[in-house]
Amino acid sequence: MTPVLILSGTLFAIGVFGVLTRRNAITMLVSVEIMMNAANLNMVAFSRLYHPELMTGQVLAIFGIGIAASEAAVGLALILTIYRRYGSTDVDRADLLKG
Amino acid sequence: MSTWLTLGRGFVLGVVAFSMVGVITAAFVLLERKVSARIQMRVGPTRTGPHGLLQTIADLVKLVMKEDVRPEFADPVAFRLGPMLTAVPAVLSFVVIPFGAPLVMRDLNVGIVYFLAVPGMTVVGLLLAGWASYDNYSFLGGLRSSAQFISYEIPRTLAVVTVVMLAGSLNTVDLLEAQKTVPYILLLPLSFAIYMITTLAEVNRVPFDIPEAESELVAGYHTEYSGFRWSLFFLAEYGALFAAAAFATLLFLGGGNGPVLPAVVWFVGKTLVVVFVFMWVRWTLPRFRADQLMRLAWKVFLPASLVNLVLAALVMMAVGR
Amino acid sequence: MMASDVLFVVFGVIAAACALYGVLTRYLLRSIVALGAFLTAVAGEFYLLAADFVAMVQIFVYVGGIVVLMLFALMLSTSGERQPLAGSDRRGLSALLAYALGGMLVWASVGAKFPAVLDRLPASVPYLGRALLGEQLFAFEFLGVILLAAVVTALALVRSERL
Repeated sequence: MTPVLILSGTLFAIGVFGVLTRRNAITMLVSVEIMMNAANLNMVAFSRLYHPELMTGQVLAIFGIGIAASEAAVGLALILTIYRRYGSTDVDRADLLKG
Repeated sequence: MSTWLTLGRGFVLGVVAFSMVGVITAAFVLLERKVSARIQMRVGPTRTGPHGLLQTIADLVKLVMKEDVRPEFADPVAFRLGPMLTAVPAVLSFVVIPFGAPLVMRDLNVGIVYFLAVPGMTVVGLLLAGWASYDNYSFLGGLRSSAQFISYEIPRTLAVVTVVMLAGSLNTVDLLEAQKTVPYILLLPLSFAIYMITTLAEVNRVPFDIPEAESELVAGYHTEYSGFRWSLFFLAEYGALFAAAAFATLLFLGGGNGPVLPAVVWFVGKTLVVVFVFMWVRWTLPRFRADQLMRLAWKVFLPASLVNLVLAALVMMAVGR
Repeated sequence: MMASDVLFVVFGVIAAACALYGVLTRYLLRSIVALGAFLTAVAGEFYLLAADFVAMVQIFVYVGGIVVLMLFALMLSTSGERQPLAGSDRRGLSALLAYALGGMLVWASVGAKFPAVLDRLPASVPYLGRALLGEQLFAFEFLGVILLAAVVTALALVRSERL
């Protein structure tokens, strides 16, 4: 049990580092997906502890995967729209609301 | 001790799967050439070995000795990964095929979902190969091929879902048991038709082979590949073809069940019949245009497979599950 | 030390290494391919945690769908240039934050006491089916609505040529 939690914690931290560091929109999405997978791993690990026949953690992980899919679809559509408008996918260039 | 045994067994099974796919590819390339020749009223390769049986070995020797060319601007990582990522899922899908009831490499409880999910990774390889080749024709071929693959994935999955509904299990070995009385092709003919046609689209065979059409895209996503890398693509194609045919036998033809001969013989025999039908179709029909192909997937097959779900539910009620 | 423990460590190391590479590399394509490898390793982990169906769904949706989607977006948005991305600022502070967060999570996991894991269930699919269509029915149907909304949104966003 503990090794799984250590793994998911580490992966989550890597994802957080990625989101804070990256400037390109698509690599930010990559980091967000890493975070979501770490969370799913955590949920699946915990579902084995109490009442494993209810499979709550696994069901939540499946929902998480489905929602990640819709989020990726909408996010990438947004990225393409931004690319058409600004000519680049660097998020620091989209600063119309600044100052 | 048992740890190493388990891991060693896994490793050995991996090697077995790869060799099986290699042998099957070699045999099928020759089979295809002979079948196409007979359909076109000629004879096919006859000079290398008796009746041309050593032709593929000769081809393989030639391919291995070819120079390994890489276009100058091709991204080295992606160029090398593309063929590998296309070939490996095709080999992996052999793990859940039961060659007659007890002979399965790994009796997964979710074997059918595994079989549908793992070849989905091929698309990543196709896109990488098309993009990395730094060539318009490859790129277009890669994009068309992946769009075609993901579009036909949905009707195919829904057709398989109807079989799972009747069988009541995702386990591939259970499917063999469930068809002991009557093969599912009699109960679910529409599913069988949808499965066969969408599988042709999934393995990029005529009439759905726009991505490789010589008259349109030079050779699509494998234009820039030569020698052994090109043969990896062929390994992927024929491996996927055999796996899909084996799966059709398993899902619809009651693979392995038959009166006198051992189950393995029945299974392989039925699979070869299905493969022959695939090859027959290839050399008989002209190919679809890219837009006709996509229109078929989304406007014909998807609604048909959804209607099929309802029909399968009615069949379930009639059969009394 | 059982085979599943060895595999757990192997998949875990692959997942962490691919995640790190995906986050640090300056080439966009390699980042996405690293994500693909990471997702497959996590699917392996799921399988080892007796969640075989979740593992298959992960491969089906994440690797076969989301990674493909990202590759399409990459190809439609970089107009042929394969230059490495610019480096990033704020690396020191982010690393510090990530270390702190990760350290906190690891410390919490190591210190906690968990009850023994109960026996492995024979097959997860029947229980999953009962849960999805029983307890979690509302969430399941709502997920369908969310997916529909996502499809419509993506189509609407990509179709408008004028902004």
